[in-house]
Amino acid sequence: MQNSILNNQAFYNLTPIAIELVDFINDGEDARHFRFRLPSPQSIDKPEPGQFFMLSVPGAGEAPFTFTVTPNDQGVFRALVRKMGEVTTALFQCQPGDILGIRGPFGKGWPVNALANKKILMVAGGCGLAPLAGLIDQLITSHHHKHLALVYGARNRALQMLNPERLRWQQELSLFDVLEDTGSTQASTEENHILEGTPLDAMDSVLRTLDWTPDTLLLCGPEVMMSAAAKNFIQRGLSAQAIWLSIERRMHCAVGLCGHCYLSEHHLAHHYVCKDGPTYRWDHLQPPEKN
Amino acid sequence: MKTQSYYLDHPNTLRNHLAKSYQIEPPEADSAKSTPPLISPKGQLFAEHENLFTFDGECFRETLPKPAPFVLFGVQSCDLTAIHYQDQFFANDPYYQARRQQALLIGIDCLSPCQQGFCPSVDAGPGVKNETADMILHQLSATSWLLLVCNKKGLNALEGLLLNPANESEFTDRDNRIASCVEQFNDDSYLQQGITAINQNQVPEELWQQLGIQCLSCSGCTNLCPTCSCYGTWERQDSNGDIRRQRFWDSCLYESFQREASQHNPTEEAGERVKRFWTHKFGDNFAQEFGRYGCVGCGRCEQTCPGVVGVHSVMKRIASDAKLDT
Ligand SMILES: Cc1cc2nc3c(=O)[nH]c(=O)nc-3n(C[C@H](O)[C@H](O)[C@H](O)COP(=O)(O)OP(=O)(O)OC[C@H]3O[C@@H](n4cnc5c(N)ncnc54)[C@H](O)[C@@H]3O)c2cc1C
Ligand code: SF4
Ligand code: SF4
Ligand code: FES
Repeated sequence: MQNSILNNQAFYNLTPIAIELVDFINDGEDARHFRFRLPSPQSIDKPEPGQFFMLSVPGAGEAPFTFTVTPNDQGVFRALVRKMGEVTTALFQCQPGDILGIRGPFGKGWPVNALANKKILMVAGGCGLAPLAGLIDQLITSHHHKHLALVYGARNRALQMLNPERLRWQQELSLFDVLEDTGSTQASTEENHILEGTPLDAMDSVLRTLDWTPDTLLLCGPEVMMSAAAKNFIQRGLSAQAIWLSIERRMHCAVGLCGHCYLSEHHLAHHYVCKDGPTYRWDHLQPPEKN
Repeated sequence: MKTQSYYLDHPNTLRNHLAKSYQIEPPEADSAKSTPPLISPKGQLFAEHENLFTFDGECFRETLPKPAPFVLFGVQSCDLTAIHYQDQFFANDPYYQARRQQALLIGIDCLSPCQQGFCPSVDAGPGVKNETADMILHQLSATSWLLLVCNKKGLNALEGLLLNPANESEFTDRDNRIASCVEQFNDDSYLQQGITAINQNQVPEELWQQLGIQCLSCSGCTNLCPTCSCYGTWERQDSNGDIRRQRFWDSCLYESFQREASQHNPTEEAGERVKRFWTHKFGDNFAQEFGRYGCVGCGRCEQTCPGVVGVHSVMKRIASDAKLDT
């Protein structure tokens, strides 16, 4: 009797599944694109683009990362990780063959259904490109959308990530690289189609270059950047309901238990980003109208 | 099951009977008092530290607790209401549920107000609600108690103890005694005003900031609060080289609670964090989810807070400073 409830499937699993680190490539300063292998492709549910997983590095801890490539039929998936603190530093000391752990997938991903036939502009800052990568690949293979452009901002050239992917995507979408510090002469930036400043500084020029007007905006990056971009596009006439963003919060469980990832917006105080997010529509984040 | 009632000469008769099959918490025999202990029974179900799993280099193994059946004896209504609340919050948490299933809850009605408590104002006492306990103790006199058995689990635990059934009239008498206890509580209309102000988002930011300055981030309130449930995790290495992940009670009042690796911290301001605590205790959107407020009126935060930001102090200040829409 004692164990009958505990066999119930509804229980959260706070214990990871063992995975193998297959290999990695260095991809931008202090960033690596890793390949991991699950025991079998069915070991976890199939992730949606924008969903994340908790990666355990035994001895160091656990942290959330987004699938850049979801598990294939060998159970191999990828994630782009920037070295930041304890868990990521320990991960960078791991070698191919090492055993790590995974839990997931978690959270609400990008609103794929709402993107059908849309003219999509994505704005990513820094590490924020990783959570969009899986979606970009899905869109360019399914041709679900009408138009797609990506504005990717980074501080400087060394910090740009997903370099092979961006090269490949250039053929399939309008790509605008924006660097705060181009670190070179005007001539060479023009040659490489690099814009200077922040993604927002470059926006007028981006929109002039496109021969279509975006009707959907997807944002991922630092919160100040996303908030400024959303407000900017609302001023340009885009509806708040057409803007989506992926929010980052500190996480320790990913199932709504540990409490760390709460939102402090008054009307969303009961939200845990790990469960109710990380993807939010802009209007849902705004305080409700007083009546 | 219809509630059954019996006469009991002393709680210890029940305690001694249960001790044959259960471990009793708290272990001291004189624990049927009508004042809640400073430390709530929260930790018996949601442990202050516990192992989640071990890793031996190849496999991760879940380490669920396997406690022997135990009794939480003489628990006041506020704390039982908190357990009822946690039962929902931790409904899918296997560690909590592994303990919870082994627990038998013996409640006790409070017949006079405790010093800092305000359970009637948050619908959490002073009488124990049937759905929050397996049995309820109710004192009739120095030598006579009423024992209410709320469910099958309670009835089964009573097997082998011969007790005389109580008169039907005892139910109404009990209700009357509880009602007269409710009347003895101090006026706390500031609480209702504070709750309204929090929910209308009418508490001036400057007030949260002032309260934030007073908060020493000591985590006294979050540790003692019977409904606080936040935790952190860390990993430890055993002498044989195995790795263990543990979780431990955390506090939203710590500066680093939400700090991310990039140093971005959405609740860097102490005022924001104090606001979080009180929003979690009195926010209507939590009440909608859990059927009640997170605060059960035990008053422990007031008792423990060195910075005078416990529930009574905070709600009085909110009630006097907030600009309420009326
Ligand atoms: C939904 C989501 C998706 C993410 N996807 C990616 C990604 O694809 N690539 C990438 O490089 N980074 C991603 N991040 C950020 C990444 O989780 C942090 O960089 C990472 O947690 C840092 O861990 P650390 O142990 O090295 O840092 P420390 O500062 O030592 O952090 C200690 C612990 O705090 C928590 N923590 C700290 N910072 C964060 C944070 N920003 N977000 C969540 N938890 C945090 C973690 O539990 C972490 O283990 C994502 C974050 C979220 C919330
Ligand atoms: S907020 Fe204070 S009074 Fe309310 S339940 Fe928690 S410790 Fe008790
Ligand atoms: S967020 Fe704060 S108030 Fe809410 S449960 Fe966690 S520690 Fe307690
Ligand atoms: S990460 Fe624990 S509640 Fe969201």
